[in-house]
Amino acid sequence: MSSSSAARAIRLPPPCPHLAAYRSGGGGTPFRSLHRCLRPRPPSRAEVRRDPGEVPFCASCPPAAAHRGLRLYACLSCAAVSCHAHVSDHAALRPGHEIALDVDRAELFCAACRDQVYDPDFDAAVVIALTSLSCSRIPPPPPPPEKCAKRRRVEYRPWVPDPKGRAVIGRRSSPLLVQEGNASSASSTTTTANSTTTTTSSPSSSASSPSSLPRGLRGINNLGNTCFMNSVLQALLHTPLLRNYFLSDRHNRYVCQQKSKKKGGIKEKSNVVERKNPARESHVCLACDLDTMYAAVFSEDRKPFSPANFLYSWWQHASNLASYEQQDAHEFFISMLDGIHEKEQDQCKHQSHVGNGDCCIAHKVFSGILRSDVTCTICGFTSTTYDPCVDISLDLDSSRDAVQIATSKLQTCESDTESMLTSQAYGISTLMGCLEHFTRPEKLGADQKFFCENCRARQESLKQMSIRKIPLVTCFHIKRFEHSLIRNMSRKVDRHLHFPFSLDMGPYLSSSILRARYGNRIFAFDGDDSDASTDLASEFELFAVLTHSGKLEGGHYITYLRLNNQWYKCDDAWVSHVSESIVRASQAYMLFYVQKILYYRASQHVFAS
Amino acid sequence: MRSSINRPPTPDANEEPEKEPTLQEIINIKLIESGEKEKLMELLRERLIECGWRDEMKAICRAYARKKGRNNVTVDDLIHVVTPKGRASVPDSVKAELLQRIRSFLTSAAI
Repeated sequence: MSSSSAARAIRLPPPCPHLAAYRSGGGGTPFRSLHRCLRPRPPSRAEVRRDPGEVPFCASCPPAAAHRGLRLYACLSCAAVSCHAHVSDHAALRPGHEIALDVDRAELFCAACRDQVYDPDFDAAVVIALTSLSCSRIPPPPPPPEKCAKRRRVEYRPWVPDPKGRAVIGRRSSPLLVQEGNASSASSTTTTANSTTTTTSSPSSSASSPSSLPRGLRGINNLGNTCFMNSVLQALLHTPLLRNYFLSDRHNRYVCQQKSKKKGGIKEKSNVVERKNPARESHVCLACDLDTMYAAVFSEDRKPFSPANFLYSWWQHASNLASYEQQDAHEFFISMLDGIHEKEQDQCKHQSHVGNGDCCIAHKVFSGILRSDVTCTICGFTSTTYDPCVDISLDLDSSRDAVQIATSKLQTCESDTESMLTSQAYGISTLMGCLEHFTRPEKLGADQKFFCENCRARQESLKQMSIRKIPLVTCFHIKRFEHSLIRNMSRKVDRHLHFPFSLDMGPYLSSSILRARYGNRIFAFDGDDSDASTDLASEFELFAVLTHSGKLEGGHYITYLRLNNQWYKCDDAWVSHVSESIVRASQAYMLFYVQKILYYRASQHVFAS
Repeated sequence: MRSSINRPPTPDANEEPEKEPTLQEIINIKLIESGEKEKLMELLRERLIECGWRDEMKAICRAYARKKGRNNVTVDDLIHVVTPKGRASVPDSVKAELLQRIRSFLTSAAI
């Protein structure tokens, strides 16, 4: 079975008849006595020994036999140890003694079926024993606030309009995009007043003729090395949740101005001197400027837009970056989210949980939680920290790792061993490879010894990152710079990164990483819900790609947007329709993925492309 | 108690005299007692993962399971298929390194 399905949905393999018989025959207590015999082998393995120094061997093998010490199984009913050759004999002699335990791996084996069997209670017992053994002296860390709060997510059910709603839709809607050849949209446009029908043009040109370009596609003028800003703005203008928030007037710039005037009025009363001219509008709010921009960009006007006000507001916010020099797009992105957060935060006083994202729209859309586990290699004690994040910065993994990833990722395509070996010749960097690299257990060097609470000493440790909560919109930032210590300078890495249009983040979630760490046990890790909504929630669709061309000191940013399954290139003021292959070949710097359930791929079947 | 009823007869009932432990067994016990075996196993695991051997074996197992059908494969089958290939494809550098470590352990343990 593929590892992703086993990792996410805990599908129980049906127990073999012998296991079922063993469990029903009062098999509850034997698992508990395991606790005394489980010896953890950090970081994640466990073996079963009666005494710490015990060297088990097969009771039925002659002393010099080769199998005597290999692959031993201990019968769960009578603790007799046999090698894999003799374990069936033991089961045949004594009925009811079929279930045995692999002493080196703590896994169940049915001697009669001669195969591994799985039991959730057993796995739970092993994992609990492992995690409690490793931090025995320290009380378990308090669960993250997410667990205490009610389940935030409601079950996803697609919305269907009631008759009244249907009437409203018919009367007042105009579709965002009219596709040639799409019968349903042609009929729905006839009822609207300001429809944008293009029934005459042929399919090949309808995607590029101005009147049938999707709404919201508008060039942004370069105000002097502001391509970094333009590219990020283009991506944000089409971020589904952000776009919906602003277009549904959730942040009204007039209301916001009034509020700040009131606040300014109160300030004057308390004799705070305003340095600026009081007649001049001193209201600086990035969200208001964004609101203006959304209104301008999603209007009928197709002339390129100049975000001068926004630039001014942003300079007020990030004064250290206020210049006409070239800036980094990622830095601008972070700064902008911070700016929106600052303003919105005044509106709601309490900020219940860090990373919860209820404080402002920017965090609601982009914030997630990263989990970092540091494990002592000597005693297995793990220290866990949770950090909120608004994006995920990935290292471009070296080609060598990519080769190993490429061979292991072959589960996704039908191939046999031979083709696997030939692909070892290719060293392609892929986004999934970078994510694997991000979540791999990393051995911290001898100079970075971590203070282990259990051992009370500095020990060598293993660090592993995973994603505790994925944001609704995930922004991946590819670190395309490397610093050379020899020459003491940084340079840009131009290596091509292959990225998928649909991404499954399941294997990189904390629940999957933990499950894999403890030997793929059937156990509910990290509060994961194994229902359908979780499966859906980890599938993502790409909607914007930010590319950079040039060097570290100077270059140019371009954004590729995916609207209605068509790709559009946004190069400052020039917007054009491009094919998929151009996007795939581009040099990705920032990638924006949105959860699949929030992404509408309208009329994707119309253009076979 | 259920477990005591089912226990096999204690070794004293066995009439056969216990043979001298073989050299192999002595070395094994010494390795385990000193904790060296654990370190060697970890080192071996690390090296085999680094050189891609583990991923190769995984791919072979997957291919075999796909061919036979997911539900017709047992652990024994897989082990029989994979063991010869695995043993043959361990890189020489890994073998050499581990042999060196074992040799140095033996000289230091002074058997």
